[in-house]
Amino acid sequence: MSYFNTGFAFFFVPLLAAVYNLIPRKTRPVLLLIFSLGFFFVISKFLIAFLFLSILSIYFIALKLNALDEKRDAILKTVEKGEKKEIKEKYKKYKRLFVALGIAINVSCLIAFKYLNFFGMNIYGLLNVFGADLKFKAFKFAAPIGISFYTLQALAYILDVYNGRVKADRNILKVALFLSFFPQIMEGPIVRYTDTAQALYSGEKIKYRDFCFGYQRVLYGFLKKFIIADRLNFLVNNVFDNYQSFSGTAISIGVIGYTVMLYMEFSGTMDVVIGIGEVFGIRIPENFRQPFFAKNISEFWTRWHISLGLWFKDFIFYPVSLSKVGKKITSSMRKKLGNQYGPLVGGSIALIAVWFLNGLWHGAGYTFLFYGLYQFFMILSGNLFEPLIKKICAKLHINRENIAYRVFQSVKMTLLVFVGELFFFAKTVPQGFGMLAKIFTSVKFSSAELLNLGMDKNDYLIVLIALIFVFAVGLLKEKNVNIREEISKKNIVVRWVIYYLLILSVVIFGAYGPGYLPVEPIYADF
Amino acid sequence: MEKLIEILEELNPDVDYNTVENLIDGRYLDSLKILSLIAEIEDEFDVEIPTVEIVPANFNSAKSMWALIERLKDDE
Repeated sequence: MSYFNTGFAFFFVPLLAAVYNLIPRKTRPVLLLIFSLGFFFVISKFLIAFLFLSILSIYFIALKLNALDEKRDAILKTVEKGEKKEIKEKYKKYKRLFVALGIAINVSCLIAFKYLNFFGMNIYGLLNVFGADLKFKAFKFAAPIGISFYTLQALAYILDVYNGRVKADRNILKVALFLSFFPQIMEGPIVRYTDTAQALYSGEKIKYRDFCFGYQRVLYGFLKKFIIADRLNFLVNNVFDNYQSFSGTAISIGVIGYTVMLYMEFSGTMDVVIGIGEVFGIRIPENFRQPFFAKNISEFWTRWHISLGLWFKDFIFYPVSLSKVGKKITSSMRKKLGNQYGPLVGGSIALIAVWFLNGLWHGAGYTFLFYGLYQFFMILSGNLFEPLIKKICAKLHINRENIAYRVFQSVKMTLLVFVGELFFFAKTVPQGFGMLAKIFTSVKFSSAELLNLGMDKNDYLIVLIALIFVFAVGLLKEKNVNIREEISKKNIVVRWVIYYLLILSVVIFGAYGPGYLPVEPIYADF
Repeated sequence: MEKLIEILEELNPDVDYNTVENLIDGRYLDSLKILSLIAEIEDEFDVEIPTVEIVPANFNSAKSMWALIERLKDDE
């Protein structure tokens, strides 16, 4: 199952929208919830029990946290000033206990489904080093769909309640719908309670404008996936599976192809997800913001998979770097190393934690851990070299806001992203290094080889034209042009010509049928 | 407020802190600079900034940072 299933996107969702509009307002959120749970059940069958467990755990724990807050505040009103601190501390401890329980329940499910095999394999391996003779037998079971996404979203909810950012909701249906809303359940974005819960539960009638805007977005996602991502899939897998038999140039094409494919598949999915949300009047936050226009890797990660980055920033980076120990490190290092490098020490410890967990979140494997650490080193070195680069630019009279310099920055950043994605998709870390080495040592250009990788001349041309189109759309967005708003101002003929062109281009140039290998939802597996 | 602007200028001198209102969203201050900033503010103004307060709304302009500092002082 994928959001790119045409039956789902163009039959079930409009049907749901029609029914949604016909029934009384109060029952609409219930319909969305039933549809969402049904959607989950179709994909993951009885593993839906884990979704229920997650919903129930965060619902009750959030209520308990709120109750503790209220009790504490009531007591605080009755006591003298001197005793207040002690009471606050006491209740903080209670709250910590409950929030830890919530984290433990949700994270242990995630670990059981995603990491048991990986940890088991490593523990057995370690024991074997010490002379034990154990053979590891991997468990084979499917994980509930989207568990990596909804677990983080569930944790964000109880942590937000714990921190007082959000008040616990007494309405369990609302909490359940927030956590299981069908467009987001498979691949995110990981949203916060304040982002969607209110709109999800308001049951407002669908507006014609939202419906049109939503479906434009859905179509754009289909274009990215069917015209570009699916066309590249065979080539990418061919190169990564048989890299030994290809030249460095072909490997470069495969690596670039993988990055493009990943971007088109994931951001295209987000277009469909956000578009469907829009149909129902729900503004799901953006997960991508023209990542390849970023100046450096650090900025790239504020534009690519934004919701995951924000999650790690709020719940790992700041809590670690601003913990008592973190603050001590920062203040003592600032005295020793100054303001430029001092905070980097404490910040780096927090960053390692972020990128270790980010890698692990994507999957249990050394390639993902390596990928995470690679991002960490790139961000760290960017910060270390920044003062030096600034000095050099000043000496050479280079204006860093100059368009040529900005293009140079984005190209450099993009090359670094390619290397990261190479390791991300490689089967093993040594394979990643093998491919990387070959790119530089076996530079041969043979058009016959490139046309034999899995795409013919027309395929390359179509991908190129479609990418130019996506680039142009990105450029307009970067310049804050609201494209759909502009289209809606045109008269009906122009509008329908645009829609038909979009639909026809997907139908005609979509890469399906014999000879093509559709991309499975990549992020749904993470 | 002047002292705060001084601190900010030391972190990134290329910004007019009296007018810019998207310090976070416009990436004038990234998360590592925020760490320096928080350390400086806590030392200088004798407040403690809890992590929940580290949201763009509180750090997007010098004005909102100052409002945060005043509020935290009142809380103590």
